[in-house]
Amino acid sequence: MTEETSHAHEVREEAVPETALKMTARDVDVYYGPKQAIDSVSIDIGMDNVTAFIGPSGCGKSTFLRTLNRMNDTIPIAKVTGRIELDGEDIYDSSMDVVQLRARVGMVFQKPNPFPKSIFENVAYGPRIHGLATGKAELEAIVEKSLKRAGLWDEVKDRLHDSGTALSGGQQQRLCIARAIAVDPEVILMDEPCSALDPIATAKIEELIHELRGRYAIVIVTHNMQQAARVSQRTAFFHLGTLVEYGETSEIFTNPKQERTKDYITGRYG
Amino acid sequence: MAATNAPVQPTDWKAAAMQKRIRGRYRAEKRFKFYGLAAVVLSAGFLAFLLFTMVSNGLRGFTQSEIAVPIDFAASDLFLEPAQLEGEGADAALAAADIEGVVRDAAIAEYGEDGAALISNGAWLRVRDALAANPELLTSGETFWLQASTELDLGSRGDVGDRRSASETGAEMITVWDRLAEQDKVRRGFSWTFLTASDSSDPSLAGIWGALKGSLLTMFVTLLLAFPIGVLAAVYLEEYAPKNRWTDLIEVSINNLAAVPSIIFGLLGLAVFINVFQFPRSAAIVGGLTLALMTMPVIVIAGRNAIKSVPPSIRDAALGVGASPVQVLTHHVLPLSLPGILTGTIIGMSRALGETAPLLLIGMRAFVASPPEGLTDPATALPVQIFLWSDELDPGFIEKTSAAIIVLLLFLLAMNGLAIWLRNKYEQRW
Repeated sequence: MTEETSHAHEVREEAVPETALKMTARDVDVYYGPKQAIDSVSIDIGMDNVTAFIGPSGCGKSTFLRTLNRMNDTIPIAKVTGRIELDGEDIYDSSMDVVQLRARVGMVFQKPNPFPKSIFENVAYGPRIHGLATGKAELEAIVEKSLKRAGLWDEVKDRLHDSGTALSGGQQQRLCIARAIAVDPEVILMDEPCSALDPIATAKIEELIHELRGRYAIVIVTHNMQQAARVSQRTAFFHLGTLVEYGETSEIFTNPKQERTKDYITGRYG
Repeated sequence: MAATNAPVQPTDWKAAAMQKRIRGRYRAEKRFKFYGLAAVVLSAGFLAFLLFTMVSNGLRGFTQSEIAVPIDFAASDLFLEPAQLEGEGADAALAAADIEGVVRDAAIAEYGEDGAALISNGAWLRVRDALAANPELLTSGETFWLQASTELDLGSRGDVGDRRSASETGAEMITVWDRLAEQDKVRRGFSWTFLTASDSSDPSLAGIWGALKGSLLTMFVTLLLAFPIGVLAAVYLEEYAPKNRWTDLIEVSINNLAAVPSIIFGLLGLAVFINVFQFPRSAAIVGGLTLALMTMPVIVIAGRNAIKSVPPSIRDAALGVGASPVQVLTHHVLPLSLPGILTGTIIGMSRALGETAPLLLIGMRAFVASPPEGLTDPATALPVQIFLWSDELDPGFIEKTSAAIIVLLLFLLAMNGLAIWLRNKYEQRW
């Protein structure tokens, strides 16, 4: 399925990101039944970058994001073709264990979705099912470390056994990030993580993304172009299921090469 | 675009027509509220009526009239020595002795010619049990409180009896009871017999325990089969089954199965379990299997709805941290859908508990005078027992029937209470 010629794809004409490559996608098509949602998308995701996917509603950016950890597998009619690699391994290969893949490529969803369990259990769940901790003390250490990295520790350290669903929306979303971090992923996918949050909670999440950058490769889908400009180093603009333009965030926002990108950035549609 | 530029008439909210419309709206709301309230009052009234009749009739079923009969064994015709009631031959000796005759003679001696008609036919059994427990009684005398006959029992409540018994005797019995009551020779008390005995042709000896135990055994078999199979079917259909014509067909079949009249399940049970598998008739295991067939679709439907109502975001969250599909199911989906599954199960079980028709067909309507010891023993069930007693000629069974209904309703109430408790305990909010 992979063809070397795909390297000649127009959006890849510019230089490969200077950081180490974490994930690469080549000629990825996604079909929902007969409907094609993603048309031949090729993209490189760098380790040290925050990569933002922007584009109008229904452009396929969330769909493409979900192909990166095979969350689309849960939709029976979805069909993915093309090649997606994580550290050079084809993630759609039969030898790839999807359970392990999702531990390595974690995900944070649009709506905060903590389990209806305690804060501690929410974070401890992943390490527990993957056997990452050998004892109670180790598990507690992982939970503390994850909550600290997610910037939530100081707010919840006294009530770890309260329900995760009792937290505020922003805290819930940081809890979900802590939950994703707890299994020590390499990539974190964030699907519009701030769309259900108020501006203050949004600012906290953005700050958190800054802090997590470098430790994890981060891909964030956002509707909010200011957010993309604030948090990302590279931006990909999707439209009608195709990747229109991909490059340095500053380039995309100040000097877009494609007419469609320019129209979207300047608010002509979207 | 000229029309839009024309000055728009401002809406006159104070106009009479507008005010009238608003008043009409409030009236409609009041009317609607009234209809709803009327419906609630009406159904509450029916319920109160039902409970009142049941309780007022049935409470007497838990009590028993008793009459004092002094028996002097030493002077009686009973050829029985205390020594005979010790050790091996005790049962045979008791069986051979004419205790019944002695008791009858004692009653006649105490109350005259009609004395024998005042005690219940089975009253001598109580004397026999007392003798077995304490053989020394044979050397002396003792006043026994024995079950009164149905006629005297009716007399105790000032009831002349219905057409089935001669009204003359009825009227007579009232005066007899009143006379004996003045002499403290009759009393009325709580009857443990009703809770500990099984069916009998004599209402003063009939009890609910056999039927209750039969119902418990039947429900046990039903739960043991219907719950795991129903939940597993629901899980498979909801989580694993491909969405195609076959699963649609299965879904339609299950929905229809839940609506099949219960008597048809009875016929199925008769044909399959008794005729093909040769299970014993009248046994709790066959009743349980038959009712399980009936309960399963209810559990499958409730289970599927409960599983469906688990928000997809929870599944996404679990899959997102790398849980396998089975882990998503067992760690998240099943615990979250448990309240719904349990509620559905208990509703299905309540329905099965009250079911009579299928049990009649598989032979659980037999006269069973001893409680079932196991799943294959002849047994009957509470609703069937109610049906059988309501058919009895002896008017003493009327209040026993009502009392049995009270026991059944309490059982159902307990099950529904359990369902509500479980739902509240495990209910999750997100």
